[in-house]
Amino acid sequence: MSHTETAVQSPSKSRLRVGYGLVRDLLKIHPKIFAIAVAGASVYAVCTVASSFGVAYLVDHVILPRFETGKIDAGVYLVGAAIVICIGLLRAFGVVIRRSFAGISNWRTVESISMQLVRHIMSQPLFWHKRKMTGDLVARVGVDSDAAAEVLGPLPFSTSVVLLVFLTGGWLLIVDVPLGLVAISVIPILLVLNVGYQRRIDKHYDTAQHELGSLSSAVHESFDGVMVVKAFGAEDRETRRLSVISTRLKEARIRAVSARSTFEALLDGVPSLVNILLLVVGAMRVDSNSMSVGELTSFIYLFTLLIFPLRIIGYVLSSVPHSASGYKRVREILDESVELDPQTLILESSANCGVRLEGVSFGFGKDLPDVLNDVTFEIAVGKTVVIVGATGSGKSTLLSVMAGLLQPNHGNVWIANRSAAIVFQEPFLFSGTIRHNIDMGRALSDSVMHDSLYLAAADEFVSALDDGVNTVIGERGISLSGGQRQRISLARAIAQQSSVLLLDDTTSALDTVTESLVIDRLRHSKNIVTTIIVASRPSTIALADEVIFIENGQVSDQGIHANLMVRNENYRLLMQSFEHDREQGGL
Amino acid sequence: MNEPVSRFGSARTIGRGMRVAPALSNGIALTFLFAFIGTGARLVIPILIQQSIDHGLQPGNIRVSYIAVLGLIGSGFVLVSSLSLRVATKRLGTRAEEGLFTLRIKLFDHIHRLSLADHNDEKRGALVSRVTSDIETLTMFFSWGGLSLLLDGSQMIAVASVMLAYDWRLALVAFAVSAPLVLVLRLVQSRLVYAHNISRERNAQLLGVFSEMVSGAETLHAYKATDLMITSVAKDVRNRGDSNIRAGIIGAFLFPSGEVFAVFTVMAVVGAGLLIGPAGGLTAGALVGFVFLTYRFLEPIAEFTEVIDQTQSAVASLRRVLGVLDTPIGPPQPSHPIALPAGVLSIDFVDVSFAYGSRLDEVDDDTPVLNSINLHIPGGQHIALVGPSGSGKTTVARLIARLADPTVGSVMLGGVALHRVDNSDLRRRLIVVPQEPFLFADTIAYNLRFAAPDATDNELTNVFSDLEIEDWLESLPHGINTNVGQRGGSLSAGERQLIALVRAAVVRPDVLILDEATSSVDALTEVRISKALSKLAQGRTTVSIAHRLSTAARAERVVLLEQGRIVEDGSHEQLLALKGQYAKQYETWVTSTQSNLGS
Repeated sequence: MSHTETAVQSPSKSRLRVGYGLVRDLLKIHPKIFAIAVAGASVYAVCTVASSFGVAYLVDHVILPRFETGKIDAGVYLVGAAIVICIGLLRAFGVVIRRSFAGISNWRTVESISMQLVRHIMSQPLFWHKRKMTGDLVARVGVDSDAAAEVLGPLPFSTSVVLLVFLTGGWLLIVDVPLGLVAISVIPILLVLNVGYQRRIDKHYDTAQHELGSLSSAVHESFDGVMVVKAFGAEDRETRRLSVISTRLKEARIRAVSARSTFEALLDGVPSLVNILLLVVGAMRVDSNSMSVGELTSFIYLFTLLIFPLRIIGYVLSSVPHSASGYKRVREILDESVELDPQTLILESSANCGVRLEGVSFGFGKDLPDVLNDVTFEIAVGKTVVIVGATGSGKSTLLSVMAGLLQPNHGNVWIANRSAAIVFQEPFLFSGTIRHNIDMGRALSDSVMHDSLYLAAADEFVSALDDGVNTVIGERGISLSGGQRQRISLARAIAQQSSVLLLDDTTSALDTVTESLVIDRLRHSKNIVTTIIVASRPSTIALADEVIFIENGQVSDQGIHANLMVRNENYRLLMQSFEHDREQGGL
Repeated sequence: MNEPVSRFGSARTIGRGMRVAPALSNGIALTFLFAFIGTGARLVIPILIQQSIDHGLQPGNIRVSYIAVLGLIGSGFVLVSSLSLRVATKRLGTRAEEGLFTLRIKLFDHIHRLSLADHNDEKRGALVSRVTSDIETLTMFFSWGGLSLLLDGSQMIAVASVMLAYDWRLALVAFAVSAPLVLVLRLVQSRLVYAHNISRERNAQLLGVFSEMVSGAETLHAYKATDLMITSVAKDVRNRGDSNIRAGIIGAFLFPSGEVFAVFTVMAVVGAGLLIGPAGGLTAGALVGFVFLTYRFLEPIAEFTEVIDQTQSAVASLRRVLGVLDTPIGPPQPSHPIALPAGVLSIDFVDVSFAYGSRLDEVDDDTPVLNSINLHIPGGQHIALVGPSGSGKTTVARLIARLADPTVGSVMLGGVALHRVDNSDLRRRLIVVPQEPFLFADTIAYNLRFAAPDATDNELTNVFSDLEIEDWLESLPHGINTNVGQRGGSLSAGERQLIALVRAAVVRPDVLILDEATSSVDALTEVRISKALSKLAQGRTTVSIAHRLSTAARAERVVLLEQGRIVEDGSHEQLLALKGQYAKQYETWVTSTQSNLGS
C-alpha cells in the first residue's frame, strides 16, 4: 500500500465510493485467498438456482404422476433424489468454502495490517512516541486494524447475493416473462428497504453506543471515587446522575427496537405477499399452458431461498462505515513518515573522555520553552557523577539526550564508544522470565549474566527464587518489589556492556545500604564504566566523585559536593530541602 | 436471602431476576401470543401451495379465481401476522430495556452503598463490569437470543403442528430423519464455543502484548530491542489469526449442516409420500406442501441451538448481577437516629477490634486489623496517628468516619455511638481528606460543589481566601472553572491535595480526618498545603495519619500504632522522653539525614 492513497480520507465521498476504495486497498493484500472465497460463493449461488430445477423435476415427473396415475417409477424418483441431494451437498460445500476462506482472507489481512503498523510504530523514535497517547496507539494496532479488515468477512457473501439475484432473474425471465418480471421487480424493492432500514437503525445503534460509552466512563469514575461519594454522603446524587445517562441509553435503545420491529415485520411480510402474488399470477400462466405446475412450484421455492440472503444483505453492508473508519485511523499512522533516530547523531568521544556535551539545547515543541539550554560539560572516563537539580530542572531530559533517545535542537553529544545504557526512573519490565528481561532476546554468556546480576546487587534475591533467572515475572508470574524491579532493570543496562551507564534516580527505590553496595560494585567493576546518576537523595550524592548542578536547564555548577556546599548558595538551599522531610525514618 | 444466588438453578435465577425487575415479565404471555400469530405468515405459503395443487391446479381443471380468493385470504393473514410480529418484537425489546434499566439503577444504588471492604481495587473492576458488560450481555440476549427463542420456538411449534395435521406418518419420517441434526449441531457448537474461547483469550493476550510494546517503547529503543519485539509480536499476531480462522472454519460447517439435513429429510419425505400414495389418504398438494414445511421446520434449528449457549451466558450474567444485589450494604442506617451534639466533637474508641471480611468473593481474610483499641480524643484536639504500614492507622480513620463499622466494640462521636447517628448528619459534621484525593474529570467548581451542591461561585472562592491560598487560585488559567482532567490529572499531586482541602473546608466540618500524602510535592505547594491545613484545623477535632515525622512533631498528641494496637500515646516531647519506639525512630531519622550529608 502506498502512502499516496487517500481513498477513505475524504468524508464527503459517498458510502459506496468509500467502500470501494477501502475494499480495493484491502484486496491488494491477499487477493488469492479472497478469490477462493468468491469461487465458493459462486458455487453456492449456482447450486441455489439449480436446486429449484430439482424441485420442478420432482413435482412434474415424480409427485404429480404418482397421484394422477397411481404409478411409482422408482428409477425416476432415485435419479431425481440423487440430483437434488448432489446439488444440496455441492451447495453446502460452496458455503463451507466461502465462509472458511472469507475468514482466512479477513484474518490474514488483519495480520498484515497490524504487522505493518507494528513495524512502523517500532521504527519511530522515542520523541514520536512521547507525543502519542499509549492507549490510542494500542487501540489503533489492536482494535482499528481488526475493524479495518472486518468488511472482508461478509464480502464474498455479498458477491454471491448479487450473482444469485442475476441468475434467478435471468432464469425466471427465460422460463416465463410475466412471472419473471413480478419476481424481479420486487428484488430491488427488498434491497432498498433493507439498506434503508440498516442505515436508520445504524443511526440509533450509534447513538446507543455513544451513550453506552459515556455511561461506562461515568460508572468507572463514580466507583473509582466511591470514597468521596461516601465521605460527602452523595450516594443518592450519584445514582441520579448515572440514571440520567442510563435513561438516555434506554431511550436510544427503545428507538432502535421500535425501528427494528417495523422493518422486521416488513421484511417478513413483503416477501410472503410477493410469493402469494407469484402463486396467483403463476396459476394464470399454468392455465394458459405457458408453464407446468412443477415449474411454478420451483419458482416459489427459489424465491423462498432468496429471501434469507436478501434479508441480511443490509446487515452486511452496514460493516462498511465501521471498517472505513478503522482503516482511516490505521492509515493516519502509516502515512506519517518515519522520523530520524537521534541515536545516529551521537558522536564518538576521544580517549579518556566518558561523556562530553557542547551547547546542547532541547525543547519539546516550538511553542514550549526549552527544557535544556546551552548545556556544556565533560566527564572523564570511569568517573561516577551525580546530576542534581530541583524538580523540573531538566535532569531526566538531559539523560535521555545523552542516551540518544531525544534529538537536541542544537549542540553535540560525544559518548565513549558511542555506547550508553540508560535505566529509567520507572523500570519497565516485560512479562516473561528474568533472563529475558536482562538479555532482551540476545544470547548472553552465563558469566556476563552472573556479573550483571552481581553488579546490580540482584544476585542474591534472584538465586533465592525457585527458578532463578528463569523465573517468570509479570502478569502470569511472580511480582517483584519496586527495589527488585529497579535492580533487574539495572542488571539489564549493565548486561549491555556499554561504556557509559546512565541512571535516572534508579537507586531511589533501594535502601541506603544496598544503594552504596551497588555504587561501590559499579565503581570497582573490571570494565571501566562512566556512571552518571540523577539523584535527589543526600546518601546517593555523598557516594559520587563529582556533582553537576542543573538549574533551569543549564549547568550552574560542577565540582565536588563539599565545595559546592560552600560556594553555591542555591545548591545549599536545595540540599536542605532534600534533607527536610525527605526520609520517612522507616516508620 | 439465605441461600446464595450463586447456587440457584437457571429457572430460579430467572425467577429472581423477574421479581427484581418486573418489567421483564410483565405481560410476557401476551407477547408470546403475538409472536405465535406473528410467525403464522411463514405457514401461509406451504398451505396455499397445498390448497392450490389439490383444489385449483388439477390438470384440465385450473381454477384461477379459486386461487385468487385463496391468495386474498392468505394476504390478509400475512398482514395480520406481520402486524402481530411487529407488536411482539417491540413489546419484548421495550420491556427488556425497561427491565434492564431498573436492574442497572438498582445496581448503582446498591454498589454505592456497599461497605468499603467491598470496594477495594481488586473488586472495583468486577463491580464496573456487573453494571456494564453483564447488563450488556443481557441486552444482547434480549435483542437477539431472546427474540429468536420467542420467534423460532413459535415457528417450530406451528410448523410441526401443521405437519402432523397433514399427515402424521410423513411428519414422523421428517422428525426422525432430521433428529440427528440436533446432535450434530450440539457437537459442532460445543467445539465452536471452545474455539471462540481460545480466540477471545488470544485476542486479550495480543492486546496485552501490544500495550506492552507501546508502553515499553522507551526501553525497547534504549536497548535496540525493537526488532526482537517485532519478531515476538508477529508470532502472537499469527497465533491470534490462526485461532480466529479455526473458529471461522468450524462455524462454516455449522450453518450448511441444517440445509444438508433438509435435503435428505425432504427426499425421505417425498419417498415415503410416494409409498403411502393416494390410497393412504395423502394428496399431491399435501406432499408438495410438506416439502416447503420441512424447510420451514429446519430453518430455525441452527439458530435455536445456538441461542441455548447464549441463554446460558445470559443466565450466568444475571446470576452475577443478582449476587451483587444480595451483598449486604455497608454500615446500615439507624432506625431511630440520635442527633450529634452541637459544637466541637470528641472521639472515643471503646474496646474496638476490626477485621476486613470479604463478602463479594468466597475468599475470607479475617486477620484482625485492629485489636481492642481504647482511645479518647477530646474535642478540638489535633492528634497524629503514626506507625508502620499495616499498623491500622488508616482503619482507625475509616472507623471514625463510619466508612466501616467495628467488628467488636463501639466508636463514639460527641458521646453518641456512631451506629446511632444519621448518615447525612455525620457527613455534615465530619470530613475525610484521603491520601490520594479523588477528583472528578470536570472543573474545580464541580468538584467543590460535590461537597456543597448549592454553593455560589463567590462562596467557593471565599473558601480559598479563608485558607489563604487565593494566590494559587488566581494563578490558574480559568480560576474555579479550570478543568482538572481525568482523576485530576492536569494538576500536580500537591494541587489535588489543595483542592481536597478546600472541598473539606466548604462543608465547615467539626471533625477533620487527614490522610497525609506520601508523594513528594514541590516546595511552594508544600508551603501552601501546610498553611491551608493549619487554617483548616483551627477549632476542629483533627486526626492526621502522619507519614512524615515532622508532621507528627507538630501535632498536639502522637499515637503510635503497631500491629493494630496502641503502643505509645502522648505529646511529641513526652514520647521522646519515653525513649521508646517513637524516640528511636525519630533519632535514626534525624541522624541518618544529617550524617549522610556530612560525609
